[in-house]
This record gives sequence, C-alpha cells and structure tokens, in this order.
Amino acid sequence: MTGAFEARLRGILDEHYHHRHPFNVRMHAGELSPDEIRRWVRNRYYYQTRIPIKDGAILTKSEDPTFRRGWIRRIHDHDGTEAREGGLDLWLRLAEATGQDRREVASLARVLPGVRRACDAYVAFVEGHDLLASVASSLTELRAGPFLGERAEAFEMHYDWIAPEGLAYFRSRTTQAPRDAEEGMAFVLAHATTSEDEARCAEALLRKCEILGELLDGVVWGGKRPTLVPHARTRQEAEGALLVLPERAIRLDPSAEQILRACDGARDADAVAAVFSERHPDEPSVARDVYDFLEQMEQLGAVELRA
Amino acid sequence: MSAGAPSPSVRLLNLVAELTHRCPLQCPYCSNPLALAPRRDELDTATWTRIFREAADLGAVHLGLTGGEPSVRDDLPELVASARDADLYTHLVTAARPLDPAGLARLRTAGLDSVQISIQDAEAGPSDEIAGTESFAAKCALARATRELGLPLTLNVVLHRRNLGRVGELIELARELDADRIELANTQYLGWALRNRDALLPTRAAIERAAEVVREARRHGPRPEILFVLPDYFRGRPKPCTGGWGRRHAIVAPDGRVLPCHGASALPDLEFWSVRDHSLADCWERSPGIDAYRGEAWMREPCRSCPSRGDDFGGCRCQAFALLGDAARTDPACELSPDHAVVRAAREEDPAAATSLVYRSTSAGRG
Repeated sequence: MTGAFEARLRGILDEHYHHRHPFNVRMHAGELSPDEIRRWVRNRYYYQTRIPIKDGAILTKSEDPTFRRGWIRRIHDHDGTEAREGGLDLWLRLAEATGQDRREVASLARVLPGVRRACDAYVAFVEGHDLLASVASSLTELRAGPFLGERAEAFEMHYDWIAPEGLAYFRSRTTQAPRDAEEGMAFVLAHATTSEDEARCAEALLRKCEILGELLDGVVWGGKRPTLVPHARTRQEAEGALLVLPERAIRLDPSAEQILRACDGARDADAVAAVFSERHPDEPSVARDVYDFLEQMEQLGAVELRA
Repeated sequence: MSAGAPSPSVRLLNLVAELTHRCPLQCPYCSNPLALAPRRDELDTATWTRIFREAADLGAVHLGLTGGEPSVRDDLPELVASARDADLYTHLVTAARPLDPAGLARLRTAGLDSVQISIQDAEAGPSDEIAGTESFAAKCALARATRELGLPLTLNVVLHRRNLGRVGELIELARELDADRIELANTQYLGWALRNRDALLPTRAAIERAAEVVREARRHGPRPEILFVLPDYFRGRPKPCTGGWGRRHAIVAPDGRVLPCHGASALPDLEFWSVRDHSLADCWERSPGIDAYRGEAWMREPCRSCPSRGDDFGGCRCQAFALLGDAARTDPACELSPDHAVVRAAREEDPAAATSLVYRSTSAGRG
C-alpha cells in the first residue's frame, strides 16, 4: 500500500526536481560563465541560511523527543559544532573559491529579490503547515545526494578555475542528504495514514520543487534587463495593440502590452514580473509566465535580454 | 499574457512596392518576371504616395520597398518619407548598389525603419560570380552602416547547389555584421530560376547537412534569428505561398498592376487591375485576377477536401502553372498531387549532369 505512495512521491521528484531546470542543465554541462557561477553562489547562500531556520520551525511542531533528537542534527550539519565546520561555512568557502568576498556574501546584500521571495516562501510554507507536510516538503533531499555528486564532478571537470577545496559542501551533502532523506521518507510513510494525508504530502513536495525552480529563475532573470528593441513600433487597433517589427506583426493582449511597456531597460526581469506578482499575490506561477513570455519575445526579436 | 497573429483572415498586412525592375545585378535565379517593365512605365512619386496612403487605410502594416533595385530611383528618400507619414513600417530591400552609406543615412533621416541586404555567398569571389557583378564589399559596407545607424538588419541569401555547403559561413558572416536576422531562402524554381534549375537544385543530402548546421547555430542563442525552411521540392508538402493568395500580401508591380505575388503576372488569362485606373482598395478587393484564387472555391481535388488546405492554401499557383501549364492544379511539390512525379524527377536528376548557369542581364540596370 505504501509502495504506491512512495512511488508517487518519487515520481514527483523525477518530474519536478530542479535537475531539469535549464540553469542547472547548463551548470552541469559546463556552460555557465564565471559571472553566472558567482551570481548563483552568492544568491544560493540565502537559501542555505534559511535551512536551519526552517528546521527550527519543524522542531517546534513535534512533541516527540526522539524525532527532535534526530532532526536537530540537520541544524548542526548546517550551523556546525565546536568539533566541525557546518554547511554554511562550507558554502562560504565555495564563495571564496569563486573569488568573492566571504563577508560580502554572508551579508546577503546582493541577494536578488526573486531569490529572496522563493526562499522566504519555503520558510513561510513550513511555518504555515503541520509537521507531516513540512517533513514531506524536505524530501527533495532524496534527489540531492546523487545530484550534488554529479555537481561536484561537473565543477571539477568544467570549472577548473574554482579551487577543489571550494567543493567541500557538495561532497559533504552527498552523504548527509541521503541519510536525512531516508529518515524523512520513513517518517512520512509512517504518518501519512489517510489518502488525504498522502495528497497533502504530495502537494507539499511539489510546492517545494517549484520553490527550488523559482529560486533558480530568480538567479537567471534577476540578472537580466529586458529591453524592448528601439525599432519596435506599437499600433493601436480596435482588436488591441499590434507590435510591429521588421517582417512581423504581433497582436498583444492587454497584459502582454503592459509587460512590454515595463521592458524599459531600467527594470530587471524580476521587477517586470513584480508588476504582475503584486496583482496576483496568490498565483506563484505568474513570474514564470512572465519569463516564458519574455523568452518568446526574445525569440521574435522584440525584446533584448541584456545582462 | 499572449501574443498572436493579427486578424481577420483576409487583411492586407504587407504591401510590397516594386519601385522598378531596373537592377545592377544579374542573378541567375532572379525571381522577377521574364518580361520586365521598362523605366518609362514606372509609377511616379505622387502615385506611389497615394498608394501608401491607401494601403494604410486598408490596414496595411508593413511596406517593402523593393525592385529590381529600389535605390536606382532618385526619389527614394521622398517615397520613404511619405510611407512614414502614412504610418507604414518601411523595409528597404536592397542589393547595396547604387545605394551607399551616405544615401542610407538620408533614408534613415526620412524615416526608414529597417533594411534587408541580399548577399549571394559568404565571400567576395563566389558572391560576385553569382551576382554577375562586383558587389560583395559594397554589401558588407552597407550592412555595417545599417547597424551603425541603429537600423535593424536582415541578410537575405538565396540558396542553391553552389552555396548550400556554406550555410555555416553565411551565419558566421551574419554574426560578424551584427545582423538581427538571416533569411536562408532556398531558390524558388520559377521564372529565371526554372531555366537554371538543373544547375541550381541541390541534393537532398546537401540540404540535410545544411539543416543540421542551422540547428546547431540556433543553439548559440536567439541572435541572429535564422530563417531556414526546407525547400518544397524536398519536403513533400507545398509552401503556403504568400500566406495564401490574396489574403495578407499584395505587390504593386513597377507598371502599377496589383498582384498577389511576385510571379503572378506570368499566369495567362488573369486580369490584374492597375493603380493607374483604380484605387488600391478596388485592385485588392475586386480585381478578377486576385479574386481568381482567393479563398478555396477554385480548389479541385485533392486540395478541396484536404485537411491541410487551411495551412498551405494548395501551395503555389505559379509553380502549378510553370510545371503543369495549369495554375488551378494542386502544386506538384505536394506529394498528394497526381503530378508529383515531375518534381520527383527533377529532384532525382543526376547532379553530375548539371549544366552551366544562364545569367540575367537587364540593360536598364545600368541607367
């Protein structure tokens, strides 16, 4: 019976874990520039800082000392102990190995707003849900072990400008994550007793996968300033606006027109998307839709995505 | 948010103004009709200005200024300005002779929106050989001037057996010249090109290699946009010629006749009205020649009941006439056509038997 449930959770990871996100695909294929790597490292650090806070919130939901004793190890893994360095320190070593100032990265001063939103959404999710759903949301770690193993290899192969000692974080997680994930999975399988519980767990895991994708979207798109090409002209017609470019005319609906108007070269893509996110605060995929639209406009030669 | 195609289904969106048939080039695949209009028959500035206004009133968005070579006309800056006044998006299609960078700057000031430059190959030798005249260096200089003026640039290359293997170099040249777009247009075997078909038609293997080069180049990002469509001879399905006869697209020939496409004047027994005698709206909406193949009523089987008829519109009328002598038959490039064998036979011709090229020459072009 639980076999089917576990398969369902693993299926969600196969389909939605961020291993297929274009940025991760490019990272592992060695296609990222040093600037892109650095931007990712300093932004992803914000996520690292949210992990112990999220785990602290999970601890407060449990009445079971055995559970808490097990789970608190995750906080030690990230924050470190007197005896050993934690994940946060290891990540800052990675930042240094990419040529960035440790204190500047730790200050979180340059974290892009889309990244901040995604990470805060994760903490808020855990705060707003019960223990079972919160633990279920952490099951992305089932994938993290092998994925970070690949990542360490990809970095060694493609980004030899990063000193190998910077990769200690990835190596440490290849053993920690599977252990954590097995415990998390055992907990979820034992406590999801109804089909309604199972559905909530599946939904929580899916949401977490989306958040990881949104984080990467924030890294990618927060660094781009979409600019309507100067030779584009807009005509107003009874059926709506028409965007006119060499050899092509594109009918725009009112939202599309509004987005293009925001593509002034001053705002970054995140700020363009924010125009819409503010109006649809409960719709987490709006930013993604805006990015897809901007990509489509880039293909049509209507928008340039400047770095 | 969504972005789609303009509606409704019959609307003149794109007007092509063939300002002249005069041209300094002599390309052996020239798509202009075999019978060219002499200079004395060309429309004057005032008539073109009226046409631009009427086109805008019909809902036209784009205006292609072409020829022949449009820059042989001394009134080109005035024509650009009047098109701009009519709120048309102007697109100059030029072979970069006699137009030079200073002339282009004047057109920019007059309100020109975009530029397309034709090149014949990726380097001077073979490009000039196909053009029949020394022009490659001038084209590259004009391309650079286009981008320096902040105008969007399209490079257009007609592909055939002799340059198909250099698609990669052509895309590289487009990058180097900072083109926004490169159109890799396989030769349409009509008019002059049909005379030279045996010498121009490539092999399927060469086309597939070129398609692979294009796929690879597209992976390097969205610029330049690369247009490459498999030629209809090899695709088994006809091209949706001009987006459907009399649907989106009209051409005003140098003598004032309004045509649904470039080659339509070669079709016999069709009466196309001229803007000398009628308004553009009348020529577009009511002339018997455009009406003849507009919509689906003219279609026979297999087109009439074909589920693709709304996508390919039965293919190219001019090709049906050129190869079969009957413009109302299904385009023989379609594998569903009972006449498809004529295209298959041409496609399977032994390339070793290729003959030499017959160059086009227009004495008027040196005017």
